[in-house]
Amino acid sequence: MTNLAEKPNYNDDIVKLFTIATVFWGVVGFAVGVFIALQMAFPALNFGEYLTFGRLRPVHTSAVIFAFGGNALFATSYFVVQRTCRTRLWGDGWAKFTFWGYQAFIVMAALGYVLGVTQAKEYAEPEWYADLWLTFVWVAYLIVFLMTLKNRNEPHIYVANWFYLAFIVTVAVLHLGNNISIPISLTEAKSYSLWGGVQSALIQWWYGHNAVGFFLTAGFLGIMYYFVPKRAGRPVYSYRLSILHFWSLIFIYIWAGPHHLHYTALPDWAQTLGMTFSIMLWMPSWGGMINGMMTLSGAWNKLREDPVLRFMIVSLAFYGMSTFEGPLMSIKSVNALSHYTDWTIGHVHSGALGWVAFISFGALYYLVPVLWKKKELYSLRLVNLHLWIATIGIVLYIAAMWVSGIMQGLMWRSYDSMGFLEYSFVETVMAMHPFYLIRAFGGLLFLSGALIMVYNFVKTIRGDNVPSVEEDDTQGAEAAHA
Amino acid sequence: MIDWLSNNAGLTGLLFFFGVFCGIAIWAYQPQMKTKLESHKNIPLKGDEL
Repeated sequence: MTNLAEKPNYNDDIVKLFTIATVFWGVVGFAVGVFIALQMAFPALNFGEYLTFGRLRPVHTSAVIFAFGGNALFATSYFVVQRTCRTRLWGDGWAKFTFWGYQAFIVMAALGYVLGVTQAKEYAEPEWYADLWLTFVWVAYLIVFLMTLKNRNEPHIYVANWFYLAFIVTVAVLHLGNNISIPISLTEAKSYSLWGGVQSALIQWWYGHNAVGFFLTAGFLGIMYYFVPKRAGRPVYSYRLSILHFWSLIFIYIWAGPHHLHYTALPDWAQTLGMTFSIMLWMPSWGGMINGMMTLSGAWNKLREDPVLRFMIVSLAFYGMSTFEGPLMSIKSVNALSHYTDWTIGHVHSGALGWVAFISFGALYYLVPVLWKKKELYSLRLVNLHLWIATIGIVLYIAAMWVSGIMQGLMWRSYDSMGFLEYSFVETVMAMHPFYLIRAFGGLLFLSGALIMVYNFVKTIRGDNVPSVEEDDTQGAEAAHA
Repeated sequence: MIDWLSNNAGLTGLLFFFGVFCGIAIWAYQPQMKTKLESHKNIPLKGDEL
């Protein structure tokens, strides 16, 4: 233990705010996801103009990726950078600005979507005014993070911070590159992109895939490299492997975007380049997964005893699965079948629910008692219940989408002996209906698990049956000091 | 020189990035670096989160 007299006065208020926002937006994003899944199964649920699938779908994707995932990254990065640098977060006011500024961006974006304001770029739908605002907030985030690193009392910058920094810097570059546009006037929401045609498509998917690589992967690997060792009480398996993992991921990911544009107007060499780099990505992904899982080497019993750790290790299993499936789907001949089908949706959700959400839940279950100074969570049994309900939900979701997607792809490419298409489009839609019901049920289970987590957090924070650390004499002085 | 580099940007870029990556890998896995680098993994466990 560090000497108590030397312990920095960490800024945990900001981490608490981002933690609450993570949980709130998570529930909102999952609920909208369940609703749009039901809209796919029952089109009559498309009410009026504002609540149609086309407008609610970006509300769902932005809420889960940028609101839930983004707030989780803010919360954990601010927590981790302080602990691993042993210094207080730089700039209390600026940190608070990043919180309110980021929430304002989320609300601005979501209101735009339901009102029909969009620049129609997937995962980059917000119009120019929201993009400019986010740029300002993001630069503040970068400055707060960099200044905290600069003020560090630990000579070495721990690897989790490298992943967080790569996430912050690369997302800034992607955001600026993909959103360069000219508004039709300063009083109008509408703008036109500077890019056109296939160049626009390439830049969009350079952005889109690296949003997966740097927002949903690098940042969450930062979470893994701190919270798995912390919860397990053991250092990461290999620090040198983490260095190799970091640089190989950074060098390779940025080239993989063109696999979203197979069999389009994009030049063939660029498609093959995207495919090749996507296949190469398998190695750093599994290197990272092995590094995380092997942290428990020699202490696998902890997995049986601690459901929070189980959340983290199951998330790594899903990470391994989806980072194997991704390279597979990027192979052009496989992509010819899978592209534009539900298989893609299933793949995204095995990564987003299984990896991103589960590692976030694991980190949240670790953070809440620490931040609110409780000895432990209200109920570890409820954590276990959440884990199993959510896991069953994910398995139902992705299995339904595998079957539906492959069936859809096969039906689209079936010809009869005369060379006519075997199935009309509506026949493929009708065939997918049962799988849409299973998917919606899987999503409902996942949402139910999140609500169990909310209940557990409320009980933990209120202190029901949970002793506070202040009540323990041996730690009283420490808590008072903090 | 500059003209040649820009005309062969694909090749030079490939060699540069691949070279840098190999350099990092070799540096990290030198036997004499093992103790120093592996000691950094204990940073999160020095534990003062309360």
